[in-house]
Amino acid sequence: MPNTPTRAPLASPLESFPDQTLADRAADGDIRAFEVLVRRYGPLMRVYASRVLGSNDEMDDVVQESFITAWQQLPTLENGAAVKSWLMRIVSRKSVDRLRARRHHVDIDLTDAPAPERHSPHRLAEAESQTEALTRVLADLPEDQRRCWMLRELAECSYGDIAEELELPVSTVRGLLARARKTLLQEMEEWR
Amino acid sequence: MKSSDKLAGHTFEELSDYLDRDRSPADPSIDGSPECEIALRGMERLRNTQRALLKKDVELESEREDSWVSTILQAISIEARAGRDIPISHPSSTARLSVTEGAVRGILRAAGDSIPNIIVGRCRLDGDVSEPGAPVTVRVDATVLEGEIIPSLVVALREALYVALHQHTELAVEAVDITIRDLYQPVPPRAKASSDE
Repeated sequence: MPNTPTRAPLASPLESFPDQTLADRAADGDIRAFEVLVRRYGPLMRVYASRVLGSNDEMDDVVQESFITAWQQLPTLENGAAVKSWLMRIVSRKSVDRLRARRHHVDIDLTDAPAPERHSPHRLAEAESQTEALTRVLADLPEDQRRCWMLRELAECSYGDIAEELELPVSTVRGLLARARKTLLQEMEEWR
Repeated sequence: MKSSDKLAGHTFEELSDYLDRDRSPADPSIDGSPECEIALRGMERLRNTQRALLKKDVELESEREDSWVSTILQAISIEARAGRDIPISHPSSTARLSVTEGAVRGILRAAGDSIPNIIVGRCRLDGDVSEPGAPVTVRVDATVLEGEIIPSLVVALREALYVALHQHTELAVEAVDITIRDLYQPVPPRAKASSDE
């Protein structure tokens, strides 16, 4: 892509360090190592938050909160090599909290929540980008299925990590994931 | 495809699980079934589409101006990692000087970074560092570039750590324990940079 870079790359060799080292150093108070983690996984976390929230408005807040929590809790992370899925779990939690707070707010206000329109195939095919279509289809999934699927496909968490995060047995995670995939697959037939 | 459908005797859940295990160990009753193949290919297509979208969106996010990074860094506090106070003697009886444990860990990392191809990770000061003269053991984790000769790097690192500790602290260092936790492979600094070449 002929994009001009909007910022100078970091000159630090830290940029090439493995996750484990960066997480260990950040846990010990190395802000520069933490900065590399922020740059390495921040963009993915931002996309994750925006997919959950369906908008970019609150993404900055959610990702910032996530990294502040991460900085505070890094010394408790036992395996620094797992920092990516650990960060993704934090942003997943914060995004869902935000979503719930928003829904709660809407309920109290008794305003007309923008009811998810039933998507007609032509709309999926033409009016929306694939990302928008995917976001919409995801939004229609039951919350546990959606969280499960996103932790698996976007965050690349293991079944065990997802089970721990959602406080569910692994067998339930397996079932939720399969149902989410099945629904998404049926919807996807529309957008080919 | 109805939800009640069994695909060659397999549930959709089994197939989904099979996909996540990278189809390993191979199950001939799945691999040999056209219905299963269709379902698996559908799931793979879904995954590939999702990954392509994700990659595109993450790239767009990576190209944004990064004021959000500085906002985050400004919001975190280095004090959270200060640790214990380590006294430093001073001729005046009324002056009290100290350096924080966090600062000493920073000194150890910086000393380690002066040795190429070995990276210092966690640093620990074991012992009563707040008591002048109390024996202290320094424990350091490190990662070594694949292919390097580990013993000679460790010798160089230990030497550099001793010098730095001696220069900046009055700790009675009894031992410097270095644990090589892992080997690392050189990672290209930026995936983007290599594709631009």
